[in-house]
Amino acid sequence: MRALLNLIQIEFCKLRRKKLIWLMLLSAFVMPFFAFLYFRYFGNTGLDPVMFYKWSAFGYTIFIILPFVLGVLSIMLIHDENRYDMLKQLWIVPVSKMGYFFSKFFVVLIYSICFMLITALASVLFSVIPNYVEFEWSSILFLVEKCIEIGVLTAFATLPILATSVSQEGYILPVCVTLIYVFAGIFIVQVNAYFHPLSCILVIIARNGVIPGGLPEINVILALLIICVWGSFSILLANITLARESKVE
Amino acid sequence: MNDTVIKTKQLTKKYGDQTVVNKVNLHVKKGRIYGLLGRNGAGKTTIMKMILGLTPITSGSSEVFGNSLSGNEKKIYPRIGAIIENPGFYPNLTGTENLEIFAKLRGTASPDAVKNTLEIVGLPYKDKKTFGKYSLGMKQRLGIANAILHDPELLILDEPTNGLDPIGIAEVRDFIKKLSVEHGKTILISSHILSEIAILADDIGIIDRGILLEESSMSELEKRNRKYILLQVSDIPKTVLILEQRFNVKDYFVQDEQTVRIYDTTLNIGEINKALVMEDITVISSGICHDTLEDYFKKITGGEGIA
Repeated sequence: MRALLNLIQIEFCKLRRKKLIWLMLLSAFVMPFFAFLYFRYFGNTGLDPVMFYKWSAFGYTIFIILPFVLGVLSIMLIHDENRYDMLKQLWIVPVSKMGYFFSKFFVVLIYSICFMLITALASVLFSVIPNYVEFEWSSILFLVEKCIEIGVLTAFATLPILATSVSQEGYILPVCVTLIYVFAGIFIVQVNAYFHPLSCILVIIARNGVIPGGLPEINVILALLIICVWGSFSILLANITLARESKVE
Repeated sequence: MNDTVIKTKQLTKKYGDQTVVNKVNLHVKKGRIYGLLGRNGAGKTTIMKMILGLTPITSGSSEVFGNSLSGNEKKIYPRIGAIIENPGFYPNLTGTENLEIFAKLRGTASPDAVKNTLEIVGLPYKDKKTFGKYSLGMKQRLGIANAILHDPELLILDEPTNGLDPIGIAEVRDFIKKLSVEHGKTILISSHILSEIAILADDIGIIDRGILLEESSMSELEKRNRKYILLQVSDIPKTVLILEQRFNVKDYFVQDEQTVRIYDTTLNIGEINKALVMEDITVISSGICHDTLEDYFKKITGGEGIA
C-alpha cells in the first residue's frame, strides 16, 4: 500500500510543466456555461436546481467531456514512457507492473473527482449568481455528492482506455479507441443501458428517480456489475500486456 | 568463494529463424571490468537485456549474484545499475527532478544522493533546463547518473560513451575505472570501440554474429597473442622450408608473398637472418612485433577491423 502511495505521488511529480493537464480542467466549465446560456435564452428564474444541474453536470459532461478528457489524460500518462523508452528503466528499479498500472489509474481517479468538483463549483456559480436557482445547501450537497459519484465511476469506466494505452506504443490507436468508446456510450444507451460502462454510470446516478427524464427501469446492481466486468477485463488486459512488455523485444 | 557476479550458460536468443545470440557462456568476475566487444548488431545489447530480464531467453540460462533473476527481481535489481541503449527520461522534467523520481522509486536513503551523483557526472544540480532540451552527451551523463544513483554493486553499461565528445569520453572512462578500482564495483560494459575496451577492461569477451568467440583477461590476451617475429623476405617458400627444417618452426603464419610471422619469439633472429642470407634469400626486414587488439580482433572474427 505504501509502495502504491509512493508511486501515485511520483505520478503527480511526473506531470510537472504539463500545461495541457491544467488546460483540460477548463473544459469542466463548458457545460455549466452552456447551461447558463441556455437558461438565459429562455429567461427562466426560480428553477428547480436539479433541472439546471441536469444540463450543467449530468448531461454531456458524463457522456462526452469527462470520458474524453480522462481518455486523453490516460494516453498522456502512458505515452511519454513508451515514446522515450522509459519502461525498461522502470522495470529494473523494479516497479511492479500492476503497481505501475494502478498508480496511473489513481491519478485518473483523482483528476476525475477534481474535474467534477470544478464542474459542481461552476454549476453553482453559473446558476446562483444569475439567480436562476436559489442558493440552498441541500441542493449543493446533492450536486457535490452526485459529482463525486460521477467522478469515481467515470474513472472506473475509463479503465478500458487506460488498458488500451498500456498495450500500445503509439497514441493514434488509443485516441481512436477513446473516440469510439465515448461515442459508443451515447448510441448504445438508446438500445441497451446495461452494456456500456458510460451508460451504466447514467443508470447509477439517476437511481431513485432523482434526475428528471432519467431511464425508466433502473437496475443499479447490474449497472455496477457491468462496470466491474469491463474494469476486470481491462485490468487483465493491462496485466498481460505489461507482463509481455517488460520483456522488451 | 563464488566470485562470479554474472554467469550465462549456453545463452541463446532467436527471433523467428534468426539466431541473434548463440550459446554464449559469459563470466563476469567480482570487482572487475568486463568489456563486451563487437560490431554493431553483434548481439551485445541483446545479451545485456537477457541478463537484466528485459527480453526473454530462448534457451540457456543466466545468473546474477549466483541466482536466476526470474523470481528474485526485488532482491537482485537494487544491486544493479544499468544503461541499456539510449537512456530515456521525462522530457518535461529537469535532470534533478528526473533523478529525484528514480531516487524515490528506489527508496534511496541518502538525501544528498541526487546532488552527489550529478556532481560526479558533471551535471548541474537544480538546473532549470529540462531533459527535453539536453544535448546527447548530457542525456548520456544523466543515464550514467541514474545507473549509479543507488550505489549498486554491479553496473551494466551498454555503450555508455555514445554521443559524448572526446573529453567527455575520457572523463566517463576515468570515472568507470575509478568505480572499479576504488569502489570495487563490478562492471559489464559493451562497446564497438575497440580502443575504449582495450583501455578500460580487465576481462574481454569478443562477440561476432551472436557468438562469443573469445573470453579472456586482457593481460592473458596480450601475453598469448601479441608477440611474434616478423620476417620480410624475397622468397617465402624457401624461407618456410628453412624455418621448418633448420629451426624446427611449426607455429608460423604466411601473411603475404613476402611476409611471414613466427610465433616462437625465443628464436634468435640473427641466426635466422644469417641462415636465410646463406641460402641466397634477401631479408628485407626482421624483428619482433606486437599485434594490436584490432589485429587480433580481425584474426579471430576473420573479417574487417573495428573502430
